[in-house]
Amino acid sequence: MAADCAVETWTEFGFLGTSVTPKVRFGTDVFICTGSDEVYVFSTHERRLKAVFQLPGPATDLVESHDKQLVYVACASGVYCVNLQSLLHSSQSAPPESSSSPTELKISSEFLVIEADGVSSLLLVGSVLLTLCQTDSSWLMTLYKTPEQTQSSSYEVLGSFSLPLVSAVVQDDTESKGGRRRSSVLICVHSGDTAPSTVPHGHFRLEPVLFKLLFGVEAALAKSPVIVCGLPDGRLCFLPLRLPGSRLRVLHSLEQPVVFVGASVVMETGPGHAQCLVAVGGQGRVVLIKTEKGGPEDGSSLAGFTEVCVSGPVECGCVDHNCLYYSTGSDLLLLDLSEGSSGKEGKERDDKTSSKTTAALHSPTSLNVCRVVALAEPTCNTAGQVQLLGLSVRGKLQRISLPVRRKEAGLSKQVGRSVRDLLSAIGDVCERASVLKTAIKSKNQILKHLNQVVNISFLLTATANTEDHLPMKEKPIRCHAMTSWSRLLQKDSLNLACVLENSSLYVLERGWTLSITVVPLCCSSTAGEESSSTNFLFPFQHLHPGETLEVSLPIAAAGDSSFPLTVNCSLIFSLSSLLGEEGAASCPGWQSNISLPLNTLTVDWLHALHLNNPTARHKMVTFQSSSITTDPIQAFISSRQIRRSRGADRGGESVSRPEKYSASVRVSSELLRELKSSDLDPKAPKLAPENLCLSLLEWLLSESSGGVKMGHQGDKVAVSSSVVHAHGPNGATVKLTAKEIEVREENTEKDERLTAAEVQVESSSVAAVCGLHHAVLSRIQILLQRAPEKAASMTRVPILSLRQALQRAEIQQSQISGAFGVGMTTGQTSPSLLNVYQELRQNPLLII
Amino acid sequence: MAPPLSLLDTWVQENNELVNKCKQKGEQDAVSRDCSQPPLKWFSFEFHKLLRKIQGIPPNADHTQLELAVVFNAGVCSAAQSQVSEAELFLAQATERVLQMTGGDAGASDPLVRWRTVLNSVGDTALHPSVLYLLCLQWAIWLATCQLKTIQEFQEMSALFDTLCGGIGDGSVSEARPKSSNIPLLVMDPRRLIELLQICTSIALGAERLNEGRSSEALSSLQAASALPAPRALVAYTHLLSGSCLTHMRRPQMALQCYRKALETDSRCVCALYQSMLIYRQLGNTQAEIQALRLLHSTLMLPSAIEPALGSTHLLSPSLLLRSQSLSSLLSVPSALTVLHSLALKCVLYGRVSEGVEHYLDLLAVVHSEDQQGLHTEDATLPKLPELYLEAGAALLMARRPADCLALCNEVNSTTLELLPEKVVLEEPEERREAETRDMEGENSLAMVLWTAAAYLLQGHCHSHLKDWKQAVTHYTRCINLLVKVRFKKRDFQPQIPGADMDVKRGKDLCVLERLKGLSLAGRGICFIQIDKLKEALRDLQLGLQTFPECVGAGLWCGEVLWRLRRRREAAACWEKTWSLTTQSLDKSLPVYLQEPQSGPLLDSTELRHRIQELGPT
Repeated sequence: MAADCAVETWTEFGFLGTSVTPKVRFGTDVFICTGSDEVYVFSTHERRLKAVFQLPGPATDLVESHDKQLVYVACASGVYCVNLQSLLHSSQSAPPESSSSPTELKISSEFLVIEADGVSSLLLVGSVLLTLCQTDSSWLMTLYKTPEQTQSSSYEVLGSFSLPLVSAVVQDDTESKGGRRRSSVLICVHSGDTAPSTVPHGHFRLEPVLFKLLFGVEAALAKSPVIVCGLPDGRLCFLPLRLPGSRLRVLHSLEQPVVFVGASVVMETGPGHAQCLVAVGGQGRVVLIKTEKGGPEDGSSLAGFTEVCVSGPVECGCVDHNCLYYSTGSDLLLLDLSEGSSGKEGKERDDKTSSKTTAALHSPTSLNVCRVVALAEPTCNTAGQVQLLGLSVRGKLQRISLPVRRKEAGLSKQVGRSVRDLLSAIGDVCERASVLKTAIKSKNQILKHLNQVVNISFLLTATANTEDHLPMKEKPIRCHAMTSWSRLLQKDSLNLACVLENSSLYVLERGWTLSITVVPLCCSSTAGEESSSTNFLFPFQHLHPGETLEVSLPIAAAGDSSFPLTVNCSLIFSLSSLLGEEGAASCPGWQSNISLPLNTLTVDWLHALHLNNPTARHKMVTFQSSSITTDPIQAFISSRQIRRSRGADRGGESVSRPEKYSASVRVSSELLRELKSSDLDPKAPKLAPENLCLSLLEWLLSESSGGVKMGHQGDKVAVSSSVVHAHGPNGATVKLTAKEIEVREENTEKDERLTAAEVQVESSSVAAVCGLHHAVLSRIQILLQRAPEKAASMTRVPILSLRQALQRAEIQQSQISGAFGVGMTTGQTSPSLLNVYQELRQNPLLII
Repeated sequence: MAPPLSLLDTWVQENNELVNKCKQKGEQDAVSRDCSQPPLKWFSFEFHKLLRKIQGIPPNADHTQLELAVVFNAGVCSAAQSQVSEAELFLAQATERVLQMTGGDAGASDPLVRWRTVLNSVGDTALHPSVLYLLCLQWAIWLATCQLKTIQEFQEMSALFDTLCGGIGDGSVSEARPKSSNIPLLVMDPRRLIELLQICTSIALGAERLNEGRSSEALSSLQAASALPAPRALVAYTHLLSGSCLTHMRRPQMALQCYRKALETDSRCVCALYQSMLIYRQLGNTQAEIQALRLLHSTLMLPSAIEPALGSTHLLSPSLLLRSQSLSSLLSVPSALTVLHSLALKCVLYGRVSEGVEHYLDLLAVVHSEDQQGLHTEDATLPKLPELYLEAGAALLMARRPADCLALCNEVNSTTLELLPEKVVLEEPEERREAETRDMEGENSLAMVLWTAAAYLLQGHCHSHLKDWKQAVTHYTRCINLLVKVRFKKRDFQPQIPGADMDVKRGKDLCVLERLKGLSLAGRGICFIQIDKLKEALRDLQLGLQTFPECVGAGLWCGEVLWRLRRRREAAACWEKTWSLTTQSLDKSLPVYLQEPQSGPLLDSTELRHRIQELGPT
């Protein structure tokens, strides 16, 4: 069953971030107490927010005095009494223009009439003000006598009643679920034959027999009003107010937080006596308490407790003549109680009707109003329409006009009204739609984002697959880098400025991370020492096509000789950044990160060289002084090496420095010239022979190789002569010499004389020599690989032998590193080193 | 001017402003409660704030006097709000700082030792009085937390106070001098505090000793204390406690003297009145008891009686200092309603029926008034409300106001009407059941039946008083019909030994049931006589006598019926037997509405005796 009803929004307060159940008090002014520090007063006549009370703490409940003059507001520190009219007058006299905007009234401690901690509910019965507080061990109901004169402040305590707390299992359960602290409910019940015909808010007139049955003969005899309170622990308690020696007693337990207690007429039997006491629990248990005739053997009446379960959670509720209205948060529902009590006469009620009534009680009518968190007592307008006042969770104060009951429905169908109904229904739907829209929008955004991610990963993985066929084609997203020495805190370190270049068509959006792993080459080949690899992660926000991202990372400190280094670049995408932490965690099967490798860079000895510029000379000095002392092995080797080098020395190294180790690479000048002019530097004119050596050195030192460039602080590398002095990262002095020599080819029959460029590496450090030798060779190899087509005509390029030389050098490199790295004894170290040296000597290479 | 000095000045000024405000509040509270004044909590908070500022710097001889004054003020405000632990914390911090400054040994954890060390370390310097104020506060805390032993151990110091009381008076540090802004003020005059503490200590100690049964010892100290300068209320307490001691020592007349003295000292000392009433009751002096009850009630109804006797000190009130359990039990007085009820009942029982009726009506008026004054009391000595109605009805009937009685009974009947069960089971022994259900249910169906039956019975009495025999018979019949619904069931059957203690052994409910049955049958029988249905009358009267043999009216009227039926010998025997019964006018153990009616048709005993004489000996 469903019925649509007209919803008219009166005003909006914005979201209610409340921890307490909000309350709405209806009168000529509507008081809205949302559990925040503010209480809103809405004038129904003027249809505007009249005033806002600002209280020193969160307001939990409020009650209006019977003459509508005073408002009592319960707050954390106590109960405040506000005379609204006089306050409004006094404040409005000051700012005359504030007729449209609500008056802000600061309620300070001068309005405090009752000091009490944690008052959760208030009720006014005659001149008695009741407060209900929760203390550490009990619920405490205190009665105060309100003074006759309005401004006197003597609120005399008439009595107080306590009820011990029970273990709060039920309570805690709901608290954690709902997140909203349930407050207590206080109502006053009068016996129908004693009370006046109209009772204020929160007061109900109950049929006398039921009253006596529930609350006792004494209360009826004393014509005492009875306070009924519903507690968050589910207990329904009562207290006869005007009875000597009365106590707070438990009437029933709902076993779930009591959300609402009221009384409904159910059936028109007398002058509006309620026949039924209704209590509603937070999880949907509705208890109807009615008089029932006892069995034939025992003719007296009994109080019958009927329990009905509706689907919870119940946020709030209210009753009118024969209906219970309650909100589950997602819908407002109507439960017809009169159908449930058709069998008031015990004799006529048989099983059939009772089953029918329970069926009726189990099928509430939906009113299609969502998000109502507080309801005020229903009123009937002149047309016989029931009107409810509801507060939505978004802070909308709404008047909900129910359709006229089915019987009269045909009579009063008006076009205008139905249009209004439709409009308001549209408004309601609109609100729901807007929520859905934002959800869809964000999902679309995520999908778009994911599409980009998938595109990028296809792009990167596709190029990875086809790499074998097109080795020279570079990935559209790649890194290149530049090394530079920097000095920080008396320590030199080699920094790598890594630039991620996005030359693809896609945007790298939020969620991507650039991961750079630096691994020493020798270690990566032996594979086993994870400790020597370093990983750097750089999350970034947006990288549009054509944009670059530069990051800087330290790769080696001075004295560190574990070159060459391999720099693996990859992109990582994490799903959690897209879906949020819990979104990614909710799908445990997923791998939340996608890792896409980019290119690999190599940083070799040449990159790490420290050139001895005139400006940088002083640095070299400090360098050496610091490193020499720390390298006893070096000293040892240098002492040993003098003798050996003499015997082994061959070729054109300078004999004047016998203590140096040296190695050389020879490249045919013609080849070099050809390569350099055609491939690398097409604009440059044909190089003169003397310039060839110079440019070769310059190229070795400055040109980017393997994506890594050597950076020079300050001036451009100034290779003025064919001799370059530098020092390596381990501090050893290095001399690079390039010169043109004539070589006789030995292994061919033809006695050709070739001019060749020889690059000679000299250093006192074996590691430096090996490293540099390796670096130079690998550069030349790359150079040769680069222009294979063009150099094809130039046959007899012994690439094979070049490779062999490279491999040899790599083995030597690793042997040296092994000798230095692992704690070998000096006795073992020196032979292995010398072995390497020997091998190095034996292979003078000519690259034609 | 050097900066620390000006700092000191500002602190002193801040303190003095607070003290002045606090004193103003005290004065205004005395006149009228004005809401605009900040609450005590606020003062406490402000003093504490100031104290934290001052204690932010290491102890300094220049600041110590101010610091101690602020500690005193903050402590008094905390203690006045019953936050004793907070006040103790202030004191502990203060003594520690004083010891730090003077270089004393701060190691002692025992408060007594610590205080002695502090006093020694301060010596006779200017700080001595300041430390003594704090000691006063400590004393007050001990008293408020009932650590009487500690106070007694410290009594050797009271001599110190005595000498210093004069000293402070001379110096009159804060008040007598021209208002120099440099002297920190105190929220409470220490001399007053010492006076208050001395008498309160005596009272508390007296109550403690009295409780332990050392009456004579308590008496001497209390009598000494009564000479101390103190608020009237407290002096009255000393007299009152002396009286209690004398009562324990079985000297009621001397006790009465003491109670009178207490009342003379403080007219609001209701407890003295109550205690005197108890003594009169004990002595059997009914008239005096009623008088005392009447006075007690009127005193309790005075608006001032509710307010505790506060005196001039609004901060540390005697009620805060006198917290011991033994004292509060000695000072407890039943509620005004209970007093009014016992007054009304006494009046009715002892022949002041019209006065008793007035009191009953007052009592009912209080219950029905909108005003909640005095209703919410803990003592449960007041009977249930329907019983009160019935008692009042019976009193009205005694005062020959049957119409009013009828109205009250109607009220009871109409409330119970729909709730009466078809059948009730009265189980014996009922003690256990009574204990179980009475408290839990409030009233059970049996009680409801008994109330309703009693109401019918009273209505029958009223109608027979009005000589409306038909109506009377109807109501008596209703009563009987209702009573037969009660089935009596013995749980543990034991052979009953007929004896005098039968009534005691039987439960109260059963006794009431029997009584109601007997009275209603007798009443109906008497009515039948009036309408000349002698057979029915004889049956009812005999049945009535069976269930309630002590019923005088039934016995006499039964004889009358027999006489009229010309069974004159039997009649004479019946009369003789009835006269031989010990005629108690009213049985006090039973509710007043279960007494034999004095208002119905009566037989003249002398006339009956004449008839017997005429009959002559057989």
